[in-house]
Amino acid sequence: MIKKRKSLWRRLRENKVAQGVSSVLLPVLFGVLILALWQGQILHKIFNTDTNTLPLPSRICHIIIDNIPAFAQNALYTLLVAVIGLVIGSIIGYLIAVFAATFQKWGKGGLTIVGAFNAIPIVALAPVMTNWTKDISNDPNIRSMFAKTLVVMIVCIASMSINAFRGLTELKPFALDLMKSYAAKKSTVFFKLRLPNSVPYVFTALRVSVPISIISAVVSEYFAEYIVGVGREIRENIVLGQYPTAWAYIVVACLIGLVMYGVLMLVESIVLKNRKVK
Amino acid sequence: MMKTITKIKNSKALVTLVWVLGLLVIWEIFAFIIQATKRTPENIMPHVWQIFYSLIDPKPVSNGMSCLQVVLFNAGQTLSRAGQGFMIGTLIGFALAILMKLSHIVEKIAAPYLMLIQLIPILGMAPIILAMTHDIGSSRIIIAAILTFYPVATNTLAGLNSVEKQKYELMYSYAAKKSTVYFKMLIPSCIPYFFTGLKIAAPMAITASILVDTLQGDGGLGCMLSQSLKHAMSIYVFWDIVVFSAVIGVLSCSLMGWIENAVSPLKRIERKTKKKKEAA
Repeated sequence: MIKKRKSLWRRLRENKVAQGVSSVLLPVLFGVLILALWQGQILHKIFNTDTNTLPLPSRICHIIIDNIPAFAQNALYTLLVAVIGLVIGSIIGYLIAVFAATFQKWGKGGLTIVGAFNAIPIVALAPVMTNWTKDISNDPNIRSMFAKTLVVMIVCIASMSINAFRGLTELKPFALDLMKSYAAKKSTVFFKLRLPNSVPYVFTALRVSVPISIISAVVSEYFAEYIVGVGREIRENIVLGQYPTAWAYIVVACLIGLVMYGVLMLVESIVLKNRKVK
Repeated sequence: MMKTITKIKNSKALVTLVWVLGLLVIWEIFAFIIQATKRTPENIMPHVWQIFYSLIDPKPVSNGMSCLQVVLFNAGQTLSRAGQGFMIGTLIGFALAILMKLSHIVEKIAAPYLMLIQLIPILGMAPIILAMTHDIGSSRIIIAAILTFYPVATNTLAGLNSVEKQKYELMYSYAAKKSTVYFKMLIPSCIPYFFTGLKIAAPMAITASILVDTLQGDGGLGCMLSQSLKHAMSIYVFWDIVVFSAVIGVLSCSLMGWIENAVSPLKRIERKTKKKKEAA
């Protein structure tokens, strides 16, 4: 019998090690390629810009390293707004979902309304919140922080409540019947069945909320009274024509996002360790 | 049977209506409190009827146009750009998802970047894209397209990957060509996911377009919004735009739902089975 030798390509595709290596190597290579094109000013030719509007990566790094205290302070404020808003918003969203799951007839209608809130542009929300929180404190920093956190909170409520509601109600088949056959109390059904069932859905919601929380923190800083935060610095520097500094702040904003996402992934892998993640 | 169905439908609408009314009542209570305690209540929280009255009020607020005219005129500018960006973003997103499905190499390169791109504050980058293109119209389109592209791409890809193994086996047993597999199996089954992506993307494209408007002073909803906030014209223009953009955001999302209902083969089957059930 003649055994046809598989082609090199085919063997590479079936080799697990090669697959693992390539799934890391290919994106890294791509990233390096882009950075090289950028540093080599070829991107500038493609987009027809100069090194001021699109500064070189080395320049951006220099700016960040030279001004670490200022960057750290602004990043801290944005991070605070994003995290506090995310946490409070997610908790409120979860409570709404619990309410909706207990009183399903009225709750579902309420969820539609909450979902509609999700479609309201942040740009419309941010100035309204700034107006509403004028009396919170005499310190413009505190009241701006409050307004920004409110915006992030509202944005995060929607995705959490909708996902958590699904987690609380989309149970495994016959799970509810089993609980009934135990004559379980409503509270037992909630704590032993619904709550654990909703945990993976909570993480799905958080994966959506984390990037959104940062974007809304950045955008709400545009409209805030007090000039602080990564988003505001981007804008202020653009107004001054300081594009390299603005780019540096954009990089910082991305880093904040990466860190928050990384932390979320870590927590998720610990919490969902014993479950099969869909 | 029909009666009970209409009853259920009515009650569902009723529930939503009650919620909306409840929110309006809460708003009005606060509006009255603010009216009693603040010097300029219309800046903080005007009454609902005041907002609606300003929409029908023919009194000119800027350039001889009434509030409604200002809002609609500028909305046209903003929304057309948002729409163009949305279309481009949808096309690119869908094409990328198909490419990622077709080629392992493309999938491996693009997958981590699709995750990374949503962490970049594109809206924060709006001023820089404006500086690069020097044209507010095209930067609106570009930003709307970028924001549309990744929800569409990730959701469509999820849809393409969700096809069960048995279906592939069936296609294999038919000796189906690759193009047939794509057009008859993969693309139809990713349509619900594709529309989920569109529903996420549509309000985002509008938000992006409005935000880009605030950067430069040549018209558009966002521009009017910031001018009204600076009291260059009646503050009610601001409230009108807030209400308008909220309504448009919600509508854009449900518009995608309607299109899905009209286009998607799955929904057509759902409707058919429902009809059969009702007839039986």
